[in-house]
Amino acid sequence: MNCPECGAVNKAGAGKCVQCGALLARAAPEPARPAGKVLHRTDFLAAARANRRATRRLVFSLLAILVILGYLCGWSLQLVIRGIPAPATDVWFLSLWGVRTAFVLLTVGAVWSWVAFHGGDRLVLSLTGAVEVRPAEEPVLHNVVEEMAIAAGIPRPRVFVLETGAMNAFATGMNPSRAVICVTRGLLNGLNREELQGVIGHEMGHIVNWDIRYATAVGVIVGLIALVSDGALRALYFSGNSRGSGRGSAGAPFILLVLVVFAALAPMFAMLVQFAVSRQREFLADATSVRLTRHPQGLISALEKLGASAEPFRGANRATQHMFIVNPFRNFTERSSRLYATHPPLQLRINRLRNLGASM
Amino acid sequence: MKILGWIVVALIVAVPLWGVLLFNTLVNLRNQVQNAWRQIDVQLKRRHDLIPNLVEVVKDYMSYEQETLNKVIQARNQAVSATTPETAIAAEGVLSGAMGKLFALMENYPDLKANENVARLMEELSATENKIAFSRQFYNDSVMALNNSVETFPSNLIAGMFHFKQATYFEVPEGESAVPAVNLR
Repeated sequence: MNCPECGAVNKAGAGKCVQCGALLARAAPEPARPAGKVLHRTDFLAAARANRRATRRLVFSLLAILVILGYLCGWSLQLVIRGIPAPATDVWFLSLWGVRTAFVLLTVGAVWSWVAFHGGDRLVLSLTGAVEVRPAEEPVLHNVVEEMAIAAGIPRPRVFVLETGAMNAFATGMNPSRAVICVTRGLLNGLNREELQGVIGHEMGHIVNWDIRYATAVGVIVGLIALVSDGALRALYFSGNSRGSGRGSAGAPFILLVLVVFAALAPMFAMLVQFAVSRQREFLADATSVRLTRHPQGLISALEKLGASAEPFRGANRATQHMFIVNPFRNFTERSSRLYATHPPLQLRINRLRNLGASM
Repeated sequence: MKILGWIVVALIVAVPLWGVLLFNTLVNLRNQVQNAWRQIDVQLKRRHDLIPNLVEVVKDYMSYEQETLNKVIQARNQAVSATTPETAIAAEGVLSGAMGKLFALMENYPDLKANENVARLMEELSATENKIAFSRQFYNDSVMALNNSVETFPSNLIAGMFHFKQATYFEVPEGESAVPAVNLR
């Protein structure tokens, strides 16, 4: 090791520098650990379980935001229109209207998601301009997709290619039996068979984990929260202007204030949760890829190549960015990925994959 | 008192419903195991179909390797004619060993690898080898899922009631896991 004072070379474990006598740190410094949580050695099944738990927690908090928002809206309506707390209940914060409104919002979210599940995924595919390829045209790609489909135990998805030099891939389709996998030409040319297998395994992971559905449902709830918050703020603004003969009860101003604050903050929180869900699903898909290939090295070196590739990608927009294996807008660095990113930083994904590999 | 009554009613409805769910899960897992087993078979058949084509193309280039080619064909015919699962597994093991040797020898023939037909067949065969491995892996994963359900509480109660049996894993036969001996002469 080198002395921190004069730079002279010392024996490992030496207490003092041979040149200047400065005290040396006894223990060798820890190898530079990438920022983020300490990773525990784990296997891919445990990783998948942890990711699912995290997603459940996030989706639950999203639903909680929706329910609280609905409750506050209903409660405020009751206070403003009826002018009384609640005739039927003794507890001051129990509002029948609040419960009803929250329930209505949940129902609307469920119906809207259901409608979105039936159609919508095809549209995305046509937006990107990908072309379906036959087995005779791309035998290796088709073989790799079929191998991964066999490993995942699902029918072989349809295979599309996007004619661009950028290296990326995505999967879509609302259920595993009607799925589509799309890769770019740059990816096909730049990766070897093992790396391609890792990437296709990742996309297959999105398919078997029903991530397209997850993303759609989460998007619907986030949209609903934004819509209701916006509506509530507007209604409050206009009713505040036109209220002449105040019939509201004594508690009304306080509740209305709470509603204003909540409605102003809820959309932002909901979006942060949405991004967090998206990042969790990426980790989950990585773990699933390793479960399918039993060979983390392929995906690791593929991600390294994808991260290093400089080719810009013009086929993506903000609406489709979350679907790709790496973010097409190239936000690979740690800082940009903190809260407003659809994907975890590449280095963190690679570290977690290395970790999976260590236990195999 | 009224609430207690409702709880009892809810339990009477929920418990059988839960049992039905567990039963259906077990049936799904069992079917998945059976289907996965058939998948292995499909891929083995595909390998049997591809091998004669490869040997046909290759034999002009590799006339000095007649012995290896014969061994491959022999092993392939034995695997095709195997009737019981035990003999099939053993024969497939021998075949995999012979194929591995052939692939290794083909590395010595640059013009062979440059041949487009051969390259296509090689890709098909190595893809099929992968598919065999992956279908086995999926079979074993399915067996693990079924066995876990059969053994763990509470699904083991339903499994015992309706005679769900544990399935057996597909063990890799000796001939395949052993490293092929290389004869340098």
